Amino acid sequence: MAEVNTLVVRKPCFGLPTGCPQCLSAYIYLKFAQFPFQLDFHLNNPHSDQIPYFEVGDYVAYNNEKEGIIECLKKDVGVVDLDSGVSSLPEWISTKAILTTWLADALTYELWLGCEGSSAYSIYYPDLPWPLGKILSWKKAHWVKLKHGITNDNAEVKKEEIYERAKSAYDALSSCLGEQNYLFENRPSSLDAIFLAHGLVVLHALPESSMLRIKFSEHAHLVRYVQQCKTEFIEAAPSPSSAPRFHTGASSSASKSHSSSKPKSKPKREKTQEEKTFKRKAKYFVVAQLVAVVVFLTLMTSFDDAEVELDDDGGYDFDE
Amino acid sequence: MAELNTLVVRKPCFGLPTGCTQSLSAYIYLKFAQIPFQLDFHLNNPHSNQIPYFEVGDSVAYNNEKEGIIECLKKDVGVVDLDSGVSSLPEWISTKAILTTWLADALAYELWLGCEGSSAYSIYYSDLPWPLGKILSWKKAIWVKLKHGITNDNAEVKKEEIYERAKSAYEALSSCLGEQNYLFENRPSSLDAIFLAHGLVVLHALPESSMLRIKFSEHANLVRYVQQCKTELIDAAPSPSSAPQFHTDATSSASKSHSSSKPKSKPKREKTQEEKTFKRKAKYFVVAQLVAVVVFLTLMTSFDDAEVELDDDDGSYDYDE
Repeated sequence: MAEVNTLVVRKPCFGLPTGCPQCLSAYIYLKFAQFPFQLDFHLNNPHSDQIPYFEVGDYVAYNNEKEGIIECLKKDVGVVDLDSGVSSLPEWISTKAILTTWLADALTYELWLGCEGSSAYSIYYPDLPWPLGKILSWKKAHWVKLKHGITNDNAEVKKEEIYERAKSAYDALSSCLGEQNYLFENRPSSLDAIFLAHGLVVLHALPESSMLRIKFSEHAHLVRYVQQCKTEFIEAAPSPSSAPRFHTGASSSASKSHSSSKPKSKPKREKTQEEKTFKRKAKYFVVAQLVAVVVFLTLMTSFDDAEVELDDDGGYDFDE
Repeated sequence: MAELNTLVVRKPCFGLPTGCTQSLSAYIYLKFAQIPFQLDFHLNNPHSNQIPYFEVGDSVAYNNEKEGIIECLKKDVGVVDLDSGVSSLPEWISTKAILTTWLADALAYELWLGCEGSSAYSIYYSDLPWPLGKILSWKKAIWVKLKHGITNDNAEVKKEEIYERAKSAYEALSSCLGEQNYLFENRPSSLDAIFLAHGLVVLHALPESSMLRIKFSEHANLVRYVQQCKTELIDAAPSPSSAPQFHTDATSSASKSHSSSKPKSKPKREKTQEEKTFKRKAKYFVVAQLVAVVVFLTLMTSFDDAEVELDDDDGSYDYDE
């Protein structure tokens, strides 16, 4: 097989090449870097935190390594580092903090909790069997609550806090952008990719009633910036979304069968196997827990009967 | 009782009026605002997330409301808003994001996980019975791992990421501060209070071998800034730490018995009661779970015996055999 650059993401929805903010930021970054690649969609495990990942020959860069897919692209894959020259600016670092924490948290909150998870379900779980998708969605929502320390007592307070921070972040970014075409030095960087992915998801994936979308739309600079990006990178490239090629297990298997010409790729393959084993063990563990609960409930009933019987006479017969 | 301004915090340690970062930032903010207050220490529930709180007459501002104690001080208590005029600057907002997320996360990581929780134990749980303190400490460490998505597989990667972000944050703040005496417009704001509290805890509460402390110490102007603050605001006020007044239930009870002259204070009291009830219920729930597990284990053994017995002679079963 000839060496092909492939970005594997979650499937497209809401008129975007992919609905997942991380996948979309990687997509936009590669477009900024003018790095040729083809887009594939991973359907078997859409809830994996390895997605998006990028394949170059025998090498695979996963999203759950380093500080995310973009860092891997810059450092491991060899994609041009668009941040060189700007990443040392104090404003760049603080803007990165806003994007990777306040805005990422606000979007996560809105996707999973703010809109009852309907948008998130469409992005992450549409192809899973209904009960499994619902369970995973509920589990994720629970994790988001835990991460932000949200309880029944302080739900409203936390909600206001999250939206207030997002509002402050949009104010700051709107001032930073002004009438320019990019956030820093009028050229694209990874922060532009991250922010544009956020903006596209906010404007297209969230419902009209979303508080976050309303706050975002109040800033004309930001909306113009996002729409301009959509025109340039997404609507001008109809082929990836109009005729997507779906990533199959066979292709992945074929890729793995290649003899390794790079020593670094082998540890990653092994790690993949380890992770698969780990997930299988996790599933067994959950099943065992369920069985234990069922057995426990059964025995509780038996125990109650046993106590009554023992008081009456010294013998116990299940057939009675 | 005459109206007193009282800041109730966790107890002092490591040569600081309080070892808790949130409590220390509230302390420093009040010093910046030159509000007279006395310092009390809450010993009965040092693990509560309401601490620190500030009492002004019948009104109490808790840390777990709004966006923390400082926001409550500015908006509810009437303490002067040191952020007016600077809080609209884009740089101010982004610096606040660095302080409240990257640095707060890095310090929480270092306290609970990076140094095996020894410093955190001294700050939060030193007065609790040993087993209870250990359980709560372990529980908190689990929560910190969960919050950052740390698992056995990615512990090293996450650790590097956290320290890398802290390093970037220190560099940005070092550039922002330069040779000035404050972060913005050469006057104090809440961000100075938050940062100074962070710096004091990093330099005095964390052990010498702490990676975070090492990275912080690489920036001379940040260290100078923190030491200057310590000299001015803490070392110059020996009485709060040398002769601390310990907050007792009697005082709290007496305070609550006052008839409310402010309608706002009543909902807070009621919320307190609700939270206490909630905590009590939570404890009962945990106890019930433990009992259930014990019963389950007992029955499992019985069940195994029962199966064996039934195979031997079905129809009758006697526990005494």
